[in-house]
Amino acid sequence: MSAAASVRLENATFRYAGGAAGIFDATFDIAPGELIVCIGPSGSGKTTLLKLIAGFLRLDSGRVYLGGEDVSAATVRSRECGIVFQSYALFPHMTVWENVAYPLRVRNIPLAERGPRAAAMLDMVGLSGYRDRLPAELSGGQQQRVALARALVFKPRALLLDEPLSALDAATRVTMRDEIRRIQKQNNVASLLITHDQDEALSLADRIAVLRDGRLVQVATPQEIYDRPVDAFVANFVGRANLIDGIAAGADAVDTPLGRLATLPHGAVNGASIRLLVRPERVEPSAAAGGENVFAAQIVHDRFFGANREIELTVGQGSIKIETAMRGGIAHVRVPREAVQFLPTH
Amino acid sequence: MIPRWITTAYLLYLVAPIALLFVGSFGDLWLNTLLPTGTTFKWYKEVAADPSFRRAFSASLFVAVMTCVSCVAIGLPLAYAVFRARNPRVRALARVLYQLPVALPALVLAFGFILVFSSDTLPWLGSVWLLIAGHIVLGLPYFLQTVVSDMQRLGLRVLEEAADSLGSNGLQRFLHIVLPALRHSVLSGLIIVAALSIGEFQFSNLISGFLNRTYPVVLLQAFYGATGFACAATVILLALALTATVTGALSARGADRLPSFGAPA
Repeated sequence: MSAAASVRLENATFRYAGGAAGIFDATFDIAPGELIVCIGPSGSGKTTLLKLIAGFLRLDSGRVYLGGEDVSAATVRSRECGIVFQSYALFPHMTVWENVAYPLRVRNIPLAERGPRAAAMLDMVGLSGYRDRLPAELSGGQQQRVALARALVFKPRALLLDEPLSALDAATRVTMRDEIRRIQKQNNVASLLITHDQDEALSLADRIAVLRDGRLVQVATPQEIYDRPVDAFVANFVGRANLIDGIAAGADAVDTPLGRLATLPHGAVNGASIRLLVRPERVEPSAAAGGENVFAAQIVHDRFFGANREIELTVGQGSIKIETAMRGGIAHVRVPREAVQFLPTH
Repeated sequence: MIPRWITTAYLLYLVAPIALLFVGSFGDLWLNTLLPTGTTFKWYKEVAADPSFRRAFSASLFVAVMTCVSCVAIGLPLAYAVFRARNPRVRALARVLYQLPVALPALVLAFGFILVFSSDTLPWLGSVWLLIAGHIVLGLPYFLQTVVSDMQRLGLRVLEEAADSLGSNGLQRFLHIVLPALRHSVLSGLIIVAALSIGEFQFSNLISGFLNRTYPVVLLQAFYGATGFACAATVILLALALTATVTGALSARGADRLPSFGAPA
């Protein structure tokens, strides 16, 4: 809740007319230079959140602040957010240079100043040689760079990116991911990027905001989201997860469909139901039987990805997913005690 | 082999009458023969000297130009309103409504005009403006169709949102984004409207007053006279329509090459 936050949402609530969809009581802020990646399933309100900050939609209640100023009632134009649209929305009749210089032109910045500023921006995104091309003559990745340059050239108060990578092919997507990060850092601008791709979220974000049904479920660093998800939804949505329902059997053991799991002290009374999370890469394939939390297992699915294998196994009455670099057959798995996390059961 | 044959035959069938008109317009005498005998320019000179044809030529040009101007003035805001309508049902209904005149025979429209505008309260039958009004009704659906589909194809709404977020005001958005982005479809819509207006006969024949008859209406009279004269008069109509189309196409290409605003050298 720093006072210096570039973007701040306070109890932001918005409901679409005649529907249950919207954004409900969202509060978070973006520090200068910080990149927040908003992730959630489709229909969870990611784009709505962006539109509320940009001003395309107005809050029913709550506040939006940009650079400390309350802009809840301000027009899109006066909010001065740089937006990269999913479709890029480059002006088809203008050259690359004209597109990038457009925000300066409507601000009546003299031509003599427009030139160098747009050129510097094009240089930053690596498109100096393309200034006289039309958008239709560029590849998807290049169009993306132009859109980014155009959104940053007027020194916006925030940079908002709406699924910027979804229209690109897989190889370009990884390159552009790094490019966006580099350019965003270089401009030191508070940024919100919307995606439904968890790899994108984990690799790009300073912090991830997980959205579900219009509500922010968790806002935290990628490591925290991955290592300490607040609930099963977050655990399942970011990264792969084994969610295991069980019943407390002693202070540090839980009866599960896999069998009795030794855990860290869980604090629940005997007989209470507990939901457990075990990340697949924390489960160890084990050649020999015997030892704590070692279970006999049978392979159901075995997918090979080169560096890793993702294997699904039946264990006792249940099943478990594991991720391992190990080749060869697997007859037992070991679930280390520290790898078992507790999630709320709601 | 057979498809090529059919194509050739169809092309001949398509071109032959027009080619014959062309040949006939330069033919001195054309009675019961396949081709006329002798060559002459006299028919063109006669058409050019004929006061009723001269009047009709300028009337047609005037009507076509005014129809085009009105189609832009009425059609562009209308297309924009249809495109921006929030309710998809309203959008669908609007599309059906503005497409209706396409299904309506021009003759029916003319009878309607005669009924309404021959009354004492609205005694405008015979005025050139009424003729233009009718041509607008006939041409506007094609103009709207062209422009609205282009707005959808371009994703004009997102372009405007982008311009809005980049700091432009409503007027700037219209002048910098909407108009230039739509210039192709506006021009191709106008080509259709101009060609329709210049060639329109059914409606104009019934509605135009004696002093502002359009070219096709007067042209009908020519076929009661010499064949060469009729051919020459028809070729002129063809040239008029072609000029409208080519001018439209060329200005569309020309507009492409113009820089949309001052890029530094």
